Amino acid sequence: MTTLTRQDLNFGQVVADILCEFLEVAIHLILYVREVYPSGIFQKRKKYNVPVQMSCHPELNQYIQDTLHCVKPLIEKNDAEKVVVVIMDKEHHPVERFVFEISQPPLLSISSDTLLSHVEQLLRAFILKISVCDAVLNNNPPGCSFAVLVHTRDAATRNMEKVQVIKDFPWIVADEQEVHMQEPRLIPLKTMTSDLVKMQLYVEERAQKT
Amino acid sequence: MDELYLDNIDEFVNDHNKIVTYKWLSLTLGVHVNTAKQMLYHYLDYKRKESSAQLHATYLVSGKFVDNGQASHRVSVVREDQLEDFKSKMSLIVSVHVYSVQKALLKDSCPLYSVDYDAVKDNLKNCSRYSAIRCASAVPMSSVELRQVRETQRAPTTETENKKSDMNGDASSSKPSTKPPKGIMGMFTNKAPPKNQDKEEIKSDQKENAPVADAPKSKPTGKANMMMNFFASQATRDKTVKAVGAAQSSTTEQECLSSHPEDKQEAAKVEPQKETKKDSRSKNKRTEDSDSEEEKMEKKKRRRIKKPDPDSSDEDVIPDSPQQMVTREPSPSPKKETESVSQPHQGHSKTETRKTRKVLKSRIFVDDEGCMVTEKGYESESYSENEDDLQATKQAPKDPVPSNISASSKEDEKKSHKKTSANTNKGTKQASIMGFFHKK
Repeated sequence: MTTLTRQDLNFGQVVADILCEFLEVAIHLILYVREVYPSGIFQKRKKYNVPVQMSCHPELNQYIQDTLHCVKPLIEKNDAEKVVVVIMDKEHHPVERFVFEISQPPLLSISSDTLLSHVEQLLRAFILKISVCDAVLNNNPPGCSFAVLVHTRDAATRNMEKVQVIKDFPWIVADEQEVHMQEPRLIPLKTMTSDLVKMQLYVEERAQKT
Repeated sequence: MDELYLDNIDEFVNDHNKIVTYKWLSLTLGVHVNTAKQMLYHYLDYKRKESSAQLHATYLVSGKFVDNGQASHRVSVVREDQLEDFKSKMSLIVSVHVYSVQKALLKDSCPLYSVDYDAVKDNLKNCSRYSAIRCASAVPMSSVELRQVRETQRAPTTETENKKSDMNGDASSSKPSTKPPKGIMGMFTNKAPPKNQDKEEIKSDQKENAPVADAPKSKPTGKANMMMNFFASQATRDKTVKAVGAAQSSTTEQECLSSHPEDKQEAAKVEPQKETKKDSRSKNKRTEDSDSEEEKMEKKKRRRIKKPDPDSSDEDVIPDSPQQMVTREPSPSPKKETESVSQPHQGHSKTETRKTRKVLKSRIFVDDEGCMVTEKGYESESYSENEDDLQATKQAPKDPVPSNISASSKEDEKKSHKKTSANTNKGTKQASIMGFFHKK
């Protein structure tokens, strides 16, 4: 088999694969760390060579997978600006927003041989930051739920409405109340810069959670 | 030791919101692990006195532990709030020290490992430099020794790698290596015939000497490919026609007789088809004897075509020269085959009466200008069943296309069945094979 040359690689796809993999790990970990679900449904798994917590609930896992499956085409085309994990209280008012802000350099290139292991190291740092984020956040009220929001660039939203990547798994425009937060407080968690992708993670936290 | 390290640790823990383990601290600051443990303890002590913001710590506790009457030595990392509780369960405590300090309340041990992971990875070569555990007899290898070890390791690795790459090649065609697909084979023969040869040899369980003999052969084979292909395709056509002819025969006697040849024909039909696409491969399938001999024959003949060899037997020389001519216009050969072969069958089924039949014969003579001329024409001749075999063998040399093979087959008549079937591939053997069977 011929080896793939750099030109053969579809960088958009590579970036999307890497990011979606990471987002899946991150979402599971956020749900675990922020105690949205009881810790009993989580199990240790290995990712990026370090242990992470992952839910064992099949429906929850399926939901997360489906969601990311739909996000992937957006990232491939560099249409996704932010992927947000929103934690909402009982009244569906957001209390925390974990914002993954993604931007891809206009010209993708591989300049380092250790690129992928370097990216892995950066993503590991993200994971580590998420797992200790409860030190900088206030406790959430009981009975929280979560949702995943995607902020798209330009008119990508309209395409999303037209083409359902997964049947019967449509995306809808988020409610205003889910997006807007009263008196948010910004807590930066981590940034990464690599040749493939730039990403920063910050948390918007509602000042008065209860 | 000055108190500056307290500020250091404070920065890591509070400003960076890091989990500071003693191992990470020792690697980061370049201090002995025991020193790092003391620093963490002092820091914790200092902060507790300050009674500032909440700090969480984990401790490493090791000692004797009795569980269900079974004593064991246990090493555990426990959270601060469980420390006293855990200690009380231990029957004998060997050591207790601070493992990590962090702001976050750890829910599990995962982050502790993650923290050390990159620190250890960055200092992989000397991650035990500050360790308290020493082994005097563990001496690092010198660079020379290291190189030697690597070289010895490399030898087997490269081999496996080669195999792997082969596998990959096959995998790309989505077929297992046991039965390599034609397309891939074609690619290999075009690109690198020698490699292909080797691979094949490994797969087909040939005699031990096969690889040796085959390796040098691979090149001639490649050159001969064009010729071989031509013959093979020709043979295929001939055979189809013959098969039809045989099927036409109606008597029972004929049927039982022909059933055997027909089988052969079937097999032969399949084989040449394969050969057209991957001749070099099928060659390897044959037994070594036939292979090499035929190879030689092939070469010899080709040489003869260019320059008749006086040393070789008459039989060989005469048929060869027409062959060259015929290769230029191969179309008549199938026709002729049909007639000559199908008719004998019919005759065979009847009694031994003598009959006459028309046969396309080619004559070779030297004309007045000294040129070799081949003339073809239908001649009527009488024959009986007994003559059939003779006829077949006789005809074969005259038959323009397959002449050289039939000649060779004659020579090899005593050879095994396999050999004959190998000849089949070249096309002529049909006549000779039939003769072979009839005799018996």
